[in-house]
Amino acid sequence: MPLQANSPLPSGFQLDQYRIERQLSLGGFSIVYLAYDDEGTPVAIKEYLPNSLALRKEGLITPQVPSENQPAFRYGMKCFFEEGRSLAKLMHPNVVRVLNFFRANGTVYMVMQFEKGSTLNEYIHRHRGEVRERFIRAVFTRMLNGLREVHAHKLLHLDIKPSNIYLRTDGTPVLLDFGAARQTLFTDQPMLKPMYTPGFASPEQYNNRDALGPWSDIYSVGASLYTCVVGTAPPRSDERCKKDTYVPVTSTHGARYSEQLLQTIEWCLKLDPLERPQSVYSLQKALMRKGAGEAMPATWFTDIGARLKSFIGRT
Amino acid sequence: MKFTIFQESRIGQRKANQDRNAYCYSRDALLMVIADGMGGHLHGEIAAQIAVQFITQAFQRHARPTLGDPVFFLSRALTNAHNAILDYACDKNLPEAPRTTVVACVVQEGFAYWAHAGDSRLYLLRHGRIATQTRDHSRVQLMMDQGLLDADEAAQHPSRNRIYSCLGGNHPPQIEFSKRFALRDGDIVALCTDGLWGPLGDSGVLLGLSSHKVMDAVPKMLDRAESLAGASCDNLSLIAMCWQDELGARHPDAISTHAMDVDRFTTKLESFESTRSPASDFDLTEDEIERAIAEINSAIHKFSK
Repeated sequence: MPLQANSPLPSGFQLDQYRIERQLSLGGFSIVYLAYDDEGTPVAIKEYLPNSLALRKEGLITPQVPSENQPAFRYGMKCFFEEGRSLAKLMHPNVVRVLNFFRANGTVYMVMQFEKGSTLNEYIHRHRGEVRERFIRAVFTRMLNGLREVHAHKLLHLDIKPSNIYLRTDGTPVLLDFGAARQTLFTDQPMLKPMYTPGFASPEQYNNRDALGPWSDIYSVGASLYTCVVGTAPPRSDERCKKDTYVPVTSTHGARYSEQLLQTIEWCLKLDPLERPQSVYSLQKALMRKGAGEAMPATWFTDIGARLKSFIGRT
Repeated sequence: MKFTIFQESRIGQRKANQDRNAYCYSRDALLMVIADGMGGHLHGEIAAQIAVQFITQAFQRHARPTLGDPVFFLSRALTNAHNAILDYACDKNLPEAPRTTVVACVVQEGFAYWAHAGDSRLYLLRHGRIATQTRDHSRVQLMMDQGLLDADEAAQHPSRNRIYSCLGGNHPPQIEFSKRFALRDGDIVALCTDGLWGPLGDSGVLLGLSSHKVMDAVPKMLDRAESLAGASCDNLSLIAMCWQDELGARHPDAISTHAMDVDRFTTKLESFESTRSPASDFDLTEDEIERAIAEINSAIHKFSK
């Protein structure tokens, strides 16, 4: 069945207390909008709208869900709630913040903090082939602080890629889009296949979902690091398992990047989960050490300043 | 592979549906299976569920994307399903193992292979005729073979439900295997339980599937069987698959598997609960939605203050 694309809510549409500005992105499960609240603060609103189950025709507001899709649509909604629940508990400067959750138009919406900046993907495209090592180490070490927090809550992200790593204008990264985090639940649902992005998904995401763990996110981090260095995503991991066409970056990019960074990338991209860094922490340590004995500034590691601010804000 | 397929199971006038059915396909192989849990025995529906689930899972393990040897697969999967039912009975300290009929069919490389135990049937229809069908493992069938009964008498016989082979129970099943059967464009393979073939008879099955449009035909045939059986209607199930040439005209409902990933499967298997009340599994009431939203908002406020 060819899937029809869902039309987004029109610009200027008043959605609860928010006014829709424009569509930011369109995925298989949702549409993300830029909107403004009644005080004029920009927010990102994610609308639950799985295009295999629900269709919003041009010019209409409420999506149509055929009755045979109702159970699956509701089940998907349960998973969307899981994403909201997970994110609501995560309070970390490197993880996107959820501000509100509400029902309208026969579906549900998650409101997230919107910040000025661009995705790492856009950055890589603007600076293709000349992303600096110091930038890579700084962005990833900080992004991994956020991922550590995710793993500490017994969650997996499962869709880490440059377009889900957002860079604020001050250069600090924010981890976006936890839609895949709970999609492990979708595997038994024929209409709701788990989503993953070729090139960034680990081999176990394709063929052995029981083996998923922090190391699966680490594979995706490795693929994102690879993309910074090479400019394109590595070959799909399911293809690699059959016939590995992966060319080690240590053999191609040694002139521009340090041996230690390139080896760290190879380490993350091992097909065998056990051969990869087993925790975000061990990967962070590797990213902080350039040469033997040399350490990166400690503030990258913990974001003490931001942590303190969040604690002060909490009292 | 290219085919259209449709399955449905109904409770009839009984208190529970002890029929189970499933189909599952990879890029290059298709499995269909039906089991009818035996009502006179304890936990018939559990036996049927174990059988269907077990055989489907075995298929998903071995059809990557084809089965090495379909007959060997059927033999092992059905025997192991029988053992799984015995294991279940043993685990739960049941006084006797629950029982179920089974009929399973594999299609691969243009050939169909099937195996059965009991009186759930497979029909292969070609050009408006029954090209072949399974022979029930039932007492009335044996009596018919010996010339003691004719078909009409068999349909009325008081012990027409007695079968001598099944999965589970005290005796090892006598599983009967087909020869391999080359499928042609337009062939229909239909698997059904006695709740369907009983009221309709061979001619009713043939007539019902004469249109080749399995998606319309299956629900209509179940309607008809239910109305013929009336107040005594048994559980009834039917899977019908219409085989199509890879190069033939494109049929709007046809499933074409050539673009599938080799390690992907599509499975239709009703879960245990959902056959009792269809939506219960995923049902999210209005209240639950409101509660979930309230809970998330309270978490947001708690953690952001």
